[in-house]
Amino acid sequence: MRRRLKTGDMVLIAALLLPLAVALPRLGGLGGPPELWLTWIGRVAGILGLAMLLLAGAVSSRVPGFDRPFGGLARLWHLHHWLGFAAFILVMLHALALGLAAVPASLDAAVATLFPPFSHGALWLGWLAWAALVVFLAPTFDFFGKPHYQRWKRLHLVSAAALLLGLGHALLLAGEAWPWWLLGIAGLGAIAWRKGVAPRRRHPYRVEEVVPLARGVVELVLRPEDSGIRHEAGQFVYLSPLDESLADGRGEEHPYTIASAPADARLRIGIKDLGDASHALQTVTPETRVLVEGPYGEFFGRRFPERDMLWLGGGIGITPFVGGARDLAAGAEVAGQVQLIYLAKDESRAYYRQELEDIAGRVEGFTFTQHFSREQGRMTEAFLREHCPDFTEREIYLCGPPAMNAHLQRLLVEQGVPASRIHSEVFDFL
Amino acid sequence: MNINKIAYSAFVAFVASLATLVSIQALSSSDRDAADDDALDPITLEELAEHDGAESCWKAIHGRVYDITDYVPDHPTDEEVILEWCGRESTEGWDNKRPGVPHSPRAEGMLEAYLIGRLVDEEGEPIEPGAAAQAEEGEAAAGEADSDTVRLSPAEDERLHRALLGLPLDGRYRGVFGDGGEMQVNVQFDLRDGRLSNISYRHLAYRGEDYRRLDEDDDLFPVWAQHQQLAEALEGQPLTAIFALYEPERLAEDIDGYSGATLRGNKVHSAFRDALNRGVYSWP
Repeated sequence: MRRRLKTGDMVLIAALLLPLAVALPRLGGLGGPPELWLTWIGRVAGILGLAMLLLAGAVSSRVPGFDRPFGGLARLWHLHHWLGFAAFILVMLHALALGLAAVPASLDAAVATLFPPFSHGALWLGWLAWAALVVFLAPTFDFFGKPHYQRWKRLHLVSAAALLLGLGHALLLAGEAWPWWLLGIAGLGAIAWRKGVAPRRRHPYRVEEVVPLARGVVELVLRPEDSGIRHEAGQFVYLSPLDESLADGRGEEHPYTIASAPADARLRIGIKDLGDASHALQTVTPETRVLVEGPYGEFFGRRFPERDMLWLGGGIGITPFVGGARDLAAGAEVAGQVQLIYLAKDESRAYYRQELEDIAGRVEGFTFTQHFSREQGRMTEAFLREHCPDFTEREIYLCGPPAMNAHLQRLLVEQGVPASRIHSEVFDFL
Repeated sequence: MNINKIAYSAFVAFVASLATLVSIQALSSSDRDAADDDALDPITLEELAEHDGAESCWKAIHGRVYDITDYVPDHPTDEEVILEWCGRESTEGWDNKRPGVPHSPRAEGMLEAYLIGRLVDEEGEPIEPGAAAQAEEGEAAAGEADSDTVRLSPAEDERLHRALLGLPLDGRYRGVFGDGGEMQVNVQFDLRDGRLSNISYRHLAYRGEDYRRLDEDDDLFPVWAQHQQLAEALEGQPLTAIFALYEPERLAEDIDGYSGATLRGNKVHSAFRDALNRGVYSWP
């Protein structure tokens, strides 16, 4: 799913290369003695590093819809993550290369280049930016163990300081300021939007009903208080419950997949007890408010509309397919056949099964197959062949626990299904 | 190896590299200066002065002497800027890359590669930059005193004759033309037996545009080329040839294409006259 370049990627690459393209004529060539090419490497690394840092900020705005040109928010977060990672590495390469470039002159010169007198403020801004980077990236990359999600999120705000300091460093030292103003405004603007404007634009909903589906799994039925959100099947939202009696996660936002059809006047969200916040939500008080931001993602973005589809859902990963099936039940048009195979441990864990079978009975072109791992073991090629003989020709959508996803991916690729036809959207954003 | 481990490894490697660099520098430079200075060859101002050109260029900077002959072609500015200080106490030039701006720590590091000795006076004692500059002046004065002691006869002393007749003396001259609050022309030339030689522009500008820095494709480059033609045409001519500058078309080509050409000739002429009025800048 991350192989093809999307429209958003092109824009991102163009923006990334802009400051370099503008500065390149001034940097000379990559040749000559070590002190010259090391200087070149150092400068190019610095320019690219800061551009990546600012763009990582820019793509973190999480404006609903903004993720679509990038192939969904999950993919955009991956881009954000990689941009931040590459920026961190490049920034260090930048300092090291420029320091080493002075070594042929002398060690004193090298150290003075990296740690000049404090009167060289612009350079020390660079060091402060790096220090800020370390503060917020150390927990991101688990330098000292995995941090608590909310604490990580607060620390990640230090990125705004890193962006500002890095920008100051560049504006004082760079020959051409305008590309940095452009990217700087994009990056800092995105953070300002995310932290300042976006929280006030979330949609208020009321919890109308909490439907127990199985032990540790409920479906929240949400009634919009304003116009609500418009979404497609299989998308997800960030949900912040405001119920004061919640044991955990009150006011915190977490991503959940929408299980209702777009035509449904209610927003239905299947929630499995997987952490403190989702555990608390199992007993959320009806008629309390929740705030919803979204929708995001494009789970069912069809890449090969002429093909039949095979949906493979397991555990709580069945929710996007429930949304898809309900969409079909509500009259959504679908070209070709859709087959849903539901992988569950046993009868008791196959929530939504009854409803899915009902829909399969009513909707032509939609077939439902149940697979129980307790009786039938892991999913096999033979099972797929038996129930969906043309599965290698279909466009395949996966959603389930990581182990199931990995197993199915392997199985499908071994059967010759090209990776470009296997779609899954995993939002393990941390 | 996942991305987290790579990030952590890169971070550790980076910090370790910096720490290594800093600690090696701290350890290797701790007791260098004083001890090193004694080990360096002593070089007097006299020896220094012998290496005053592109073929061998020595400079004394902060009490140390450097043979930068090999570096001269690599220096970013025009050669004359760096050659000007050859054979001299050059601390002032070093500390004022641009007025008030010293050379970078990196340049300082590069300089160390050319170190050949330490500057001493005749007794072998180290000379500080200020003292050296005074010593240079003193030497010049001493030179005059020496010639005084020879005491040429008034019948033989040609310098005296020329001075008494109001004729310009042989030597190096510098003069400027300024207008509108800016220095526009600064010429330098040598006078030998009444003839001009080594004519050069130490400065040539108009309305803030430094003509000596122009590239060949700049619109104003021909103006700079013409000025060079003026200087070339006067080279080897008797001093009186400077009056030809009133009609510069006699000296330079293609004057008509550029308005104000005659005026520029006047400016150069004026700078020459200023140089003569000021008298000899340095003796031959």
